[in-house]
Amino acid sequence: MTRWFEDITLDEAFPLGSHTFTEAEIIAFARAYDPQYFHLSEADAAHSHFGGLIASGWHTVVVGQRRMVDALEAEEQRLRGLGQQPGVSGPSPGINHMEFKAPVRPGDTVTYSLIVSAKRPSNSLPGWGILTNQISAVNQRGEPVYHAELIAFSKLRDFRMPVRLRLLEALTNIPGLGKLLTQRR
Amino acid sequence: MNPITADRRHFEDLALGEVVQLGRITVTREMIVSFAREFDPFPFHLDEAAAKKSLLGGLASSGWQTAALTLRLLTDAFFNRIAAAGGLGVSDLKWKRPVMKNDTITGTARIVELRRSRHHPQWGVLTMELDIRNQNDQPVMAMRFANLVETREPDATEPGLSP
Repeated sequence: MTRWFEDITLDEAFPLGSHTFTEAEIIAFARAYDPQYFHLSEADAAHSHFGGLIASGWHTVVVGQRRMVDALEAEEQRLRGLGQQPGVSGPSPGINHMEFKAPVRPGDTVTYSLIVSAKRPSNSLPGWGILTNQISAVNQRGEPVYHAELIAFSKLRDFRMPVRLRLLEALTNIPGLGKLLTQRR
Repeated sequence: MNPITADRRHFEDLALGEVVQLGRITVTREMIVSFAREFDPFPFHLDEAAAKKSLLGGLASSGWQTAALTLRLLTDAFFNRIAAAGGLGVSDLKWKRPVMKNDTITGTARIVELRRSRHHPQWGVLTMELDIRNQNDQPVMAMRFANLVETREPDATEPGLSP
């Protein structure tokens, strides 16, 4: 998915699109993952300092993840359309920090964007790079909703595996011996 | 006074070093695929074959799902028993090991910092460290988070700061 590590440009804002949060989906997410009274019922939430129902911060963040995965998929399709082979995204090892800045209420539209602020080859995973992703989300009034700094793996295109690693890979592909080698770690 | 939280523990009732034991939850294949479809549709969270070839080495939950399920455990064990007033943020979240299908996760949340809000005397800021493990006691996720908690006596002066 998306671009190769080498082709990812720093400090360029990628729009990830918007999402309008309905009362029904706010409550459904809260029932499953965050059943606090100000996420569950308008009447109960009126007693909170929010003065009404708000979405779980984690709900707004996982919708941001969805917007990002969809944008990476769209970039893959664009590259294929140009006759190029797209890169490979990997899983994320973590989040450096994430701040919830303003509550999201039913009917609010949140617009997400991504900036890659840093990248470097991984020390622990040969053939992969590490990206620092800045995700920003704002509501329809332009107020920041949250900001998150995420770490993500991205595959290197111009990587030639060292001979000793290629040898190890070949050995681990032999049934029996491979199992023995990987279990010894 | 907030009638919903009136009978719950407030900021003053919390103690530094307090450890909350969380419940446990088993993550099934159906849960992994349905969460991924909605929020994190990378092929390695949706499809066994793609997952085997990925860095995860098999079908594993989205890290966001591990976090969301942990939030549920924490809400049941703690947030709904105190006068919690909303999250402020998270730092140093680390997904240490994939949560594979049929793994059972549990863990602890420890209070590492308690301070009154400088500008809002009706709140204190609670900071906790989460340590989430699988059924083999291997760490799968850790994070630090801050949450607002209502104070019982908004006008009380912080002991160390009184003149």
